[in-house]
Amino acid sequence: MLALKDITVSHGEEPVLAGANLNLSAGERLLVCGAAGSAKSTLLNVAAGLIPRLVTPSHFAGEVTLSGEPLSTMSKDTLFAEIGLVMQSVEEQSWDLGVEDLIAFPMENRSMPKAEIRKRVDALLKQFQLDALRGRRVLTLSGGERRMVAIAAAMALSPRLLILDEPTTGLDPAARQRLTAALGDTLDSNSAVLVAEQDPAAFHGVARTVRFISEGQVSEARGFGTLVNEERLWREAGILPPRRTASRPKASAPGAEILGVRDVTTILCRAHGQPVLNGAGFMVRAGEVLGLIGRNGAGKTTLFQSILGLARISRGTITIEGIDATGWTVARRARRIAYLPQNMRRILFNMTLAEEVLFAITAGADPGEPDRNRAQACLEKYGLGGLSETNPFALSVRQQALLGLACADVAGAAVAILDEPLLGRDLNGRAMLDLFIRSMTDKGRAVLLISHDLELVEEVATRTLILADGRVAFDGDSSEAWQSAAFRALGWPAPSFTPDGLVA
Amino acid sequence: MNSVHNVNFFIKLTFAFAIMAIAWLLPDWRSSVPLAAATVALLAIFRVPGIRTYFKGAALLVLLVTASWIANLMIQGETLVAAVETALAMAARLVTTTAVFFFVMETSTPGSILAASSAARLPPIATLVLSLTFGVIPMLRHDFERIADAQRARGMEIDDVSFPMRLRFALARGVPLLIQAVRMAHAISLSLSIYGFDLSRKRTTWREVGLLVEHRLPGIETS
Repeated sequence: MLALKDITVSHGEEPVLAGANLNLSAGERLLVCGAAGSAKSTLLNVAAGLIPRLVTPSHFAGEVTLSGEPLSTMSKDTLFAEIGLVMQSVEEQSWDLGVEDLIAFPMENRSMPKAEIRKRVDALLKQFQLDALRGRRVLTLSGGERRMVAIAAAMALSPRLLILDEPTTGLDPAARQRLTAALGDTLDSNSAVLVAEQDPAAFHGVARTVRFISEGQVSEARGFGTLVNEERLWREAGILPPRRTASRPKASAPGAEILGVRDVTTILCRAHGQPVLNGAGFMVRAGEVLGLIGRNGAGKTTLFQSILGLARISRGTITIEGIDATGWTVARRARRIAYLPQNMRRILFNMTLAEEVLFAITAGADPGEPDRNRAQACLEKYGLGGLSETNPFALSVRQQALLGLACADVAGAAVAILDEPLLGRDLNGRAMLDLFIRSMTDKGRAVLLISHDLELVEEVATRTLILADGRVAFDGDSSEAWQSAAFRALGWPAPSFTPDGLVA
Repeated sequence: MNSVHNVNFFIKLTFAFAIMAIAWLLPDWRSSVPLAAATVALLAIFRVPGIRTYFKGAALLVLLVTASWIANLMIQGETLVAAVETALAMAARLVTTTAVFFFVMETSTPGSILAASSAARLPPIATLVLSLTFGVIPMLRHDFERIADAQRARGMEIDDVSFPMRLRFALARGVPLLIQAVRMAHAISLSLSIYGFDLSRKRTTWREVGLLVEHRLPGIETS
């Protein structure tokens, strides 16, 4: 059905794809796996016709055909009716529309009758269990919710080829199951799915074949079932294998409390009137790594906003290093609590990487020579030393995440809140994440990790919190979390490692 | 969401132009100022999003317009009383005008504008221009606030400082806002392409459109 022949793409001088080939048959569900920066997104954008049609690289060569017809000769309208695409960064293909608007958009633009559109939108909202999001604006949704809506929109026209770039990013385990079930239910033998992922386990039941991508080349297709146990191949491709033994952290005795959240209730309420946080409480001690999990939309974002003072609270207290932070400005809190969102672009605003790191050191004051030296040393620590004069918006998502770690590290904050870091599944990224965590905990600082990646939480967190119904429903040792009533209520599969089986 | 927010975009726009015309036709401050006050009061009654920001902007506008007009008119030989009356009338007209269009912009989502335009069978280019003109300004305002929150969340003290310093920090947000605006334009352009927006084809809409524009799709019973 889909054929990529001798594809070469360069964004600068060096090609990111160098003569890559890929074939996809009707009915095939293909998973493309590779480390961050291995050009998975470029490959998918070429397969979708985005490159070179809408995004022009500095060099492009090769041919892409769909059912024998070159994409270059297809009209844009036909092309994007035949191919549904969800990009890695959903923000790059969505704007301030409503949930129903975004799902209906491809159908409205093709003049489909109203009754037919309404029926299809309703069916997709039910299939993906997005009923609670009816009437919401896309930009107000959590990252995971937004991604599910974008996937529903991509499936609206029942495309022959569905291309998903890192579709599980930001999705909680239940949403991942809904996604894979929807892919299994909806797509027939005439359609195909091409997925790029760093977390292959999520697609074990859906994808039949896997190809690795590295150094600009795509490997031959292998059966997923036969690859699962070949740990070496996954590691050579630069990602964590789906089946592996866990490396759990050495728990050292925690120090004094450095962040206290007590009985916090927010002014912000849900549609039915209940506060998003309703009596939430926990504490963070020096040297700890806390994992925070909860459903998409459970209030995790509101929790950190409350800690920083960006969301107003009606009741409760926040203490930072033993001092009641009531009355502190957001900036004063932020100098002790560093926050790294999943999408780092939300908090970057300087013109170069060096300025971003300097800003973390000086908080806007004029920097001196020692500050500049510290900034450069920190960039080098996280592998960004050669990019100090680059604009942060020109970096890849992974590099932006590394920049976030560098800023949080050098700022000397007592606690760093990492919201769904995109470094957990890539071997190099994971090494940097581990370096950051060690750097923090060795200095008696702490990390609060918000993630849907339960294996990551299991492997790095010394304590786990489960947020449900606006409060912390479980607070305890990570190894006990998966047996707790609060976790069972989520209905998620617990993380499991070899010899027990495939990681969830 | 207030049901007034769901009024058809074109009806809101017609009312906005009508009120603006009345404001500029009123003879002096005795009628202009009450109309401006009533318009601003309606913003509060209808709980228009971002109203605090609007009030700050409107206060600054009144201050600047009144001061500059009084100074200008007095230089031209007007008495202080006459200059104040003229300046107040002018400020009131501007407040009325900005308030009604602020209402239209803040209560009309791009989706509701697309729906109203599509239901009216407007040419796609008109649909697009209206949605972007009235829809993008609130998006940029949100981005401006988001950048401020990002600065705060990175430890930059922009609240507990003097007014001139706040103004300086606000101006410094211009560059990242510009970058964000370019990115937004790129995202909208990409979205229009991959979701099949075509200037040669009139769109339909999923929404029921009449005096009100449907806000959410109710669940459809399936047998």
